[in-house]
Amino acid sequence: MTELVSLKGIVKHFPGVLANDNVDFTLRRGEIHALLGENGAGKTTLMNILYGLYRPDSGEIYIEGRRIEISSPRDAIKLGVGMVHQNFKLIPSHTILENIILGLKEVGFIINYKKISEEIRKLAESYGWRINPNAYVWQLTAGEKQQVELLKLLYRDARILILDEPTSVLTLQECRILFQALKRMAREGKGIIFITHKLDEVFAISDRVTVMRKGRVVITKETSKTDMSELAQYMVGRPVLFSIQKERTQPSGEAIIIKNLKAFNDKGVLALKGVDLVVKKNEIVGVIGVTGNGQQELVEVIAGLRKAAEGSILIDGINIANSSPDRIIELGVAYIPPEPLKYSIAPNLTIVDNLFMKAYRYKPYSNGILINWKKIYKKADELIKNFQIISPSLSTKAKSLSGGNLQRLILARELSGLIGDKIPKLIVAAYPTKGLDIGATEFVHKTLIEYSRKGSGILFISEDIEEALMISDRVAVMHDGRIVGIFKPGEVDMEKIGLMMAGVQVVPAI
Amino acid sequence: MAKTSRIPYNIKIQKRLYYSRKLSILTTFSAIIIAFGVAGLFFTIIGLNPLEVYSYIGGVFASPTLLLESFKRAIPIGLAALGLSIAFKMNFWNIGAEGQMYMGMLASTGIVLLHVYYGLIPDYLVLSLMILAAFLTGGLWCCLPAFLKAKMKVNEILTTLMMNYVAMYLVDFLIYGPWRDPKGYGFPLSVPFPEYSKLTVMFGEFAYGGLLLLCLTAVIVFIILRYTKLGFELKIVGENIEIARNAGINLSKVVTVGGFIAGGIAGIGGLTIVSGIIGRLRPRASPGYGYTAIIVVLLSALNPWLIIPVSIFFGGLFVAGDILQATLRIPGAAVEMYQALIFLFIVIGEFMKRYKITITRGVVE
Repeated sequence: MTELVSLKGIVKHFPGVLANDNVDFTLRRGEIHALLGENGAGKTTLMNILYGLYRPDSGEIYIEGRRIEISSPRDAIKLGVGMVHQNFKLIPSHTILENIILGLKEVGFIINYKKISEEIRKLAESYGWRINPNAYVWQLTAGEKQQVELLKLLYRDARILILDEPTSVLTLQECRILFQALKRMAREGKGIIFITHKLDEVFAISDRVTVMRKGRVVITKETSKTDMSELAQYMVGRPVLFSIQKERTQPSGEAIIIKNLKAFNDKGVLALKGVDLVVKKNEIVGVIGVTGNGQQELVEVIAGLRKAAEGSILIDGINIANSSPDRIIELGVAYIPPEPLKYSIAPNLTIVDNLFMKAYRYKPYSNGILINWKKIYKKADELIKNFQIISPSLSTKAKSLSGGNLQRLILARELSGLIGDKIPKLIVAAYPTKGLDIGATEFVHKTLIEYSRKGSGILFISEDIEEALMISDRVAVMHDGRIVGIFKPGEVDMEKIGLMMAGVQVVPAI
Repeated sequence: MAKTSRIPYNIKIQKRLYYSRKLSILTTFSAIIIAFGVAGLFFTIIGLNPLEVYSYIGGVFASPTLLLESFKRAIPIGLAALGLSIAFKMNFWNIGAEGQMYMGMLASTGIVLLHVYYGLIPDYLVLSLMILAAFLTGGLWCCLPAFLKAKMKVNEILTTLMMNYVAMYLVDFLIYGPWRDPKGYGFPLSVPFPEYSKLTVMFGEFAYGGLLLLCLTAVIVFIILRYTKLGFELKIVGENIEIARNAGINLSKVVTVGGFIAGGIAGIGGLTIVSGIIGRLRPRASPGYGYTAIIVVLLSALNPWLIIPVSIFFGGLFVAGDILQATLRIPGAAVEMYQALIFLFIVIGEFMKRYKITITRGVVE
């Protein structure tokens, strides 16, 4: 028998959403099966059903040919199904070994640490991982934590491994190590389900691929018999352009002038060590660099959320360094912060509340004391249409929106000229496409380009070099709290960009 | 297939993605009823017939005079609860309504004394000045912890709670000391308030004027929360401080102003005790109305309209406590215990509301 798992006709409703609509899915022994789809397509729901976190409304689950009811992850683990979640479920203050044997009945009352420690070390080595079972989890990197999660499953003899977007927290190097280990596990006869929304990963690792869209399976195919644009089309439901034709507009006048800007990070260490940068009107300036080189501090200082220790930030000749956030908003700075749910969207408030979180205090929506809800609702209706936010009603809570819709909501709030009825002078967008699927990413790119044509200056922070090169007019490389080089896309090759990101000065900073 | 001889039961606790209003109301009522049941068990243990006790409690709401008395008690409770609804909306966990009420009593008595001893204020201005003074003092008493929280992240639960004792003992000091009525035979009481400084001036009966004041305040609180800039800001601050900062909201201003209004309303609640119920200041004038208000506001889910009937219910419980003490010789603490039980079951109900508990029989080898 080659079929490890077979799901038949799985249906799962959540209030207002059909998360899984009659889904069939099979996993063969020794295969890596990519489960591809945009955010909200129902991939994670399906796997949570297989892992016993949710019970399906209807449908059948077969494991190795036998019909099974799974009512909790404990049942799933007994049946050999293991899942590694996007955010790790490890206890940081315990050692690797303790985390692995936690909840394991077979260990017994008296624990033979030495024996288990040796077993774990051997198990890890067989996949090429070097791990000290007595190290504490808080000491580990994200990649190592993931290895511990996998070891936890392998030590419990899991034969069916589910990985939910496992590469989202890994560096390129760690990804390579993970992929090698996964291939080895597959060779040993385990079945691996690899949930992802990144197309290149599908081709890097999988044998077969199943594409889901809106709760349904669109297609299951051998990976070797398909290609990127075909999968993208299945995933989004329409053809996708992988590059954007951008008409270059002539930049005119400065939107922002940053001079010798210095600032401390949360730990009190100087994170910005003298940043000089100019963004002109009609221009998109991309800032790339390894995460943690001052990008976050830079956008926070511009938005007034962090104190500047030295230097100036000029907008229309006014120095906004250390001004209050509301003053900076009034001067026409739109800020799209990283991690919307932490900094920008209140999940329990309604869509209208979130849309007007900044504009509520300005005319015509407020007279200084009272709020004019009638005007707000009228305008909100318009914004929902213009920015294609899909939601049952304006009073729906923001937490029920998908990632792409949330980002559209933020774009609508920041860019639509709610404040002073003007388009923003400067748009600071920090990682605006992070975690978004193809369709939503495309929308963000198009919107930013549209606003740069209308006259906004755009400061675009990205981790994705190709993305930055594609939409920016100029690209600045940030390293160790400084801008180490500025160039136009096409002027500099990838190798030099890599050197600059590592801190080697190749192109003179302007 | 699986063995059917031993089918295990699985208890599973799952977070609900959504819960209905119906469920919410149901759990609240269940909390009250279960609390009655458990209290009944307690009454049985101390040798009383619980049905008799319940009939006394129910009797409070059936007799017009006792109901009127319940209304009176409901007024300070309801006002304090309305103040708390503003504080809780912004996640400011004000435990200090009791102290803010004492400060309200202190300020309004101060105005009366200025008038009686020094004749500084004309008769017709006394009551309005008392209300103003109670609001300002109660407000300041809450404003201080709010400001400390906003500026220095000082935990408000500790500061507001401790300031209750400061306020209570300050009143004790004044009433045992300089504010004692010289003609009061040495009792720790202030001079009786003159008629025009009492809330009875409105309809001759405190309950009516007080209820009107309570309803007016509910309307004002509703408008603040729903239709003002401040109300919107309170909501966002309550939801998430980081997000409020990102939206350009001036945190310390919102928290301080919100705290001021919350404390001010509780301060007026204090005024209704001295100028409505008692007619003079005495030590421990509030039997814990400020703490009861916390239960009231949570039971009402911060809804200003619901606060009115819920505080009448709790006002009734206070009256019932007095009657039980007099007739069945039950300690007054029995009613406090009942209040605490309701609170406990509300907290449990809150859990049941948010999580779904299912028991399944899984067929697993």
